[in-house]
Amino acid sequence: MMQSQITSRPRYRELVAEDTAGAHLLIVEGDTLTPRQMAALAAAFAPVAERMQTWLVSAPATALAPGRVRKLQTVEEAAATLEHMDEGFGIADRLYLQGTEPFMWMLAAAATRAGLSPTQIRMQHAGSLKRRVWCTHCHQTTENVTTNIATCAGCGRELLVRDHFSRRLGAFMGVMVDAEAPGEVPQREEVFP
Amino acid sequence: MIGETLELTVVGVDDIAPSLRHVRLAAADGGQLPPASAGANIQLRLQGEARTWRNAYSLISQPGRRDVYEIIVRRVPESRGGSAFVHEVLKPGDRLVASWPSNLFAPQRTARHHLMIAGGIGITPFLSYVADFAHNGASHALHVCCRESETATFAPWLQDCGDLNYYWDADGHRLDIPALLAQQPAGTHLYVCGPAALNDQVIQAAADAGWPASHVHCEHFGAALSGGTPFTAFLSRSGIEVEVGESESLLEAIERIGASAPCLCRGGACGVCVTGVLEGEPEHRDHYLGADEREGGQLIMPCVSRARSARLVLDL
Amino acid sequence: MSLVFKPEETFRGDYTYRNSDAAILRFPFPFPEDRYMYSVNIEPHVRSGPTDVFHRPFDIDEHYVAECRDRALTLEQDPGRCQALPHMMTAQWDTLELLMENMAADYPEQFSLTKEGDVFGSRWTWINRPLGIEQSFIFGDPDTLPCEPFEYITRQAQGDFAICDQREDNLYLDAGMVTSQADWSLAFNVGMNFMEWHGPVPLAHQAGVFERALKYLLMLRLGQPVRRLNWTMSINPRLDTSPESYPEWGPDRASVTVENAGGKVHLRVELQTLWRLPRSNAILFPIRCFLISVEELARVPKWGKRLHRVLSSLPPELVEYKGLTRYLPATLAWLAPLDDGAELATGIGPDITELAPL
Repeated sequence: MMQSQITSRPRYRELVAEDTAGAHLLIVEGDTLTPRQMAALAAAFAPVAERMQTWLVSAPATALAPGRVRKLQTVEEAAATLEHMDEGFGIADRLYLQGTEPFMWMLAAAATRAGLSPTQIRMQHAGSLKRRVWCTHCHQTTENVTTNIATCAGCGRELLVRDHFSRRLGAFMGVMVDAEAPGEVPQREEVFP
Repeated sequence: MIGETLELTVVGVDDIAPSLRHVRLAAADGGQLPPASAGANIQLRLQGEARTWRNAYSLISQPGRRDVYEIIVRRVPESRGGSAFVHEVLKPGDRLVASWPSNLFAPQRTARHHLMIAGGIGITPFLSYVADFAHNGASHALHVCCRESETATFAPWLQDCGDLNYYWDADGHRLDIPALLAQQPAGTHLYVCGPAALNDQVIQAAADAGWPASHVHCEHFGAALSGGTPFTAFLSRSGIEVEVGESESLLEAIERIGASAPCLCRGGACGVCVTGVLEGEPEHRDHYLGADEREGGQLIMPCVSRARSARLVLDL
Repeated sequence: MSLVFKPEETFRGDYTYRNSDAAILRFPFPFPEDRYMYSVNIEPHVRSGPTDVFHRPFDIDEHYVAECRDRALTLEQDPGRCQALPHMMTAQWDTLELLMENMAADYPEQFSLTKEGDVFGSRWTWINRPLGIEQSFIFGDPDTLPCEPFEYITRQAQGDFAICDQREDNLYLDAGMVTSQADWSLAFNVGMNFMEWHGPVPLAHQAGVFERALKYLLMLRLGQPVRRLNWTMSINPRLDTSPESYPEWGPDRASVTVENAGGKVHLRVELQTLWRLPRSNAILFPIRCFLISVEELARVPKWGKRLHRVLSSLPPELVEYKGLTRYLPATLAWLAPLDDGAELATGIGPDITELAPL
């Protein structure tokens, strides 16, 4: 992963069940599931399996998971479901997320709207390093960026993808790369595979 | 709005219960006071005949009021003198010097619901909280543990309280803390202010019930005892030695000899008075230093902490 | 200093902004020594200082009217330059009160505030003569103002403003009016905590500067505001050097030559102050921007020489971070002939009381 000295980047940790918590909800991005990862999650959550639900998003039909399992088609569907749960969340509940950064931060934003505090949410990165990029000039976001320079989906400018990250937007900052010398666009490199 | 100390005049004293005195203070020059936030306190300098006390009291007046500050002082039987002074000596017309308001226990503005637990005189910061929440339309509930005889005492300040509950020490009237904490919605912030035992119980119950620590807030008001075995402190930079008596704090002893010592809360919470220890073993009573810092023995908070050894050498 | 406004000067297009001799002499030059490095350079914001820019809590100068107009233009194009998260309403009123009280007290010929009471619900009347505004409203009731209270008052003030909510032993950037910033985006940063929004600053994190500054600010006291100076450079006297408008001003950086550097390159100094707000317990962070061309600055001999020395010895990370890379060599070449190498007194004051005639 590209490392800079910029300190606004989130750091992710291996998921650990917090056994004093109330209800536990684990949401996993399906394409990041490997049998080894699933086994690790099952072991991590074994102590709280009775108070636990797992949502698998865009997972193969045969996928297994700890706790009561629910399958959802897309991250958008998962976010909407999370935001509008009838029973709501309790102050002791925990949300655990595993997947790519755009996946996790989209769900974290939905959970925040549902009243969950950032201190109730745990994240573990898995899968691609692809980024959501927010254009500082037109304020549109560009999804699935894997290169250091990306074309903005909103204004078409060539953006340098910086390491500065906004949790609220779930996105990295993109800044026009050739503003000072129009046309001087450096070589694009795949840095977030 | 720049300044450090306020000259105040006592404009009213009123005993609202056998051991509770309500004091109203106005600016001595007849002008406006600085506005204060919910949960703020002021430090009063109480000038007795033989000595001076500096005690911090929560402001119970409506937040933002600039014509008067109100406090309630409980007379503590084992008082080192500050509360006895307020009850026995202070009278209308007296002048006092006070600090500007400060706040180490402000409500969390992002909360969806405010859950307050008060023990005894620990209700005082919540009187201004309730006024603030009522004005802003914020969801709140107040649970008060007090003497049965005092359940009506605070009613004048709690008329706008949305959800008010009293508990006292009798069967069927005690607060079931775990039951209260078990079913609270996400976005709730919990505040507790009371005797150390209640504070500890609530904080522990919240942790046991899975509350994130970020949603649990406690005001350690005057709970830390500052007295104890006398010892000697040597201030290495100024080269002065001072005897710390059994009924005064290290900070008070330092102030008594006229040495300058920055401080704020005087209750072991804020960290402003933290001082280097060059020799001797501190007895930590604060809520600020981390476990590592305590074990290291290189730092002390003179407002509440004392010495295990007969002598402390301070980097002051 | 008497206040004579220059309402017609511009910060875009033809860039007619200039400093009078008096404005040059009171400029808050940020370098007390010949080298620059980050530090927690915070001091009490008292009514004194090396120039009279420091003497009032909220300084107003000859550019006031023109700066307010430039802010209005920027907001017209991008209303997102002013944002306040919903839990910041009490802090919005705090800001309005602080600014109105100080402006009215320090500049009674320009501003006045009449109150029928101090608590929320009281009727207040505000008069701003330079901008021709008279507004009666209910303190605490946003519906009685043409816009929310924070936007209302900061449209009538010089400099940017951020308000930080204090929680979890951290400060959160939860409101801002930001139209004259040194290349940071409010729309991106709003809601970030102290460490996050300072994330891109090089070197200072490693030095522990932000940990110390945060710890200090969490204990900031009501009635005891503090201040510090920060700086960068801009091409042309442009207030809006935001990332949003970078495509507009970025090319200017390539337009600097040794011949035009004196007039084009501007030192951009921020007088940052920090205030504990009384009712909300939030922290107000006014960032007042002062612009001066290198040419104007060099009319104070000490400042011209010192700027040359500071810029020649700047760590490469800072040159990059502050965006100076393209035009630093030309600027140094312009300044070099003015620097005779003489020893300069420590401190930021001009050490002269009058400028030599042009």
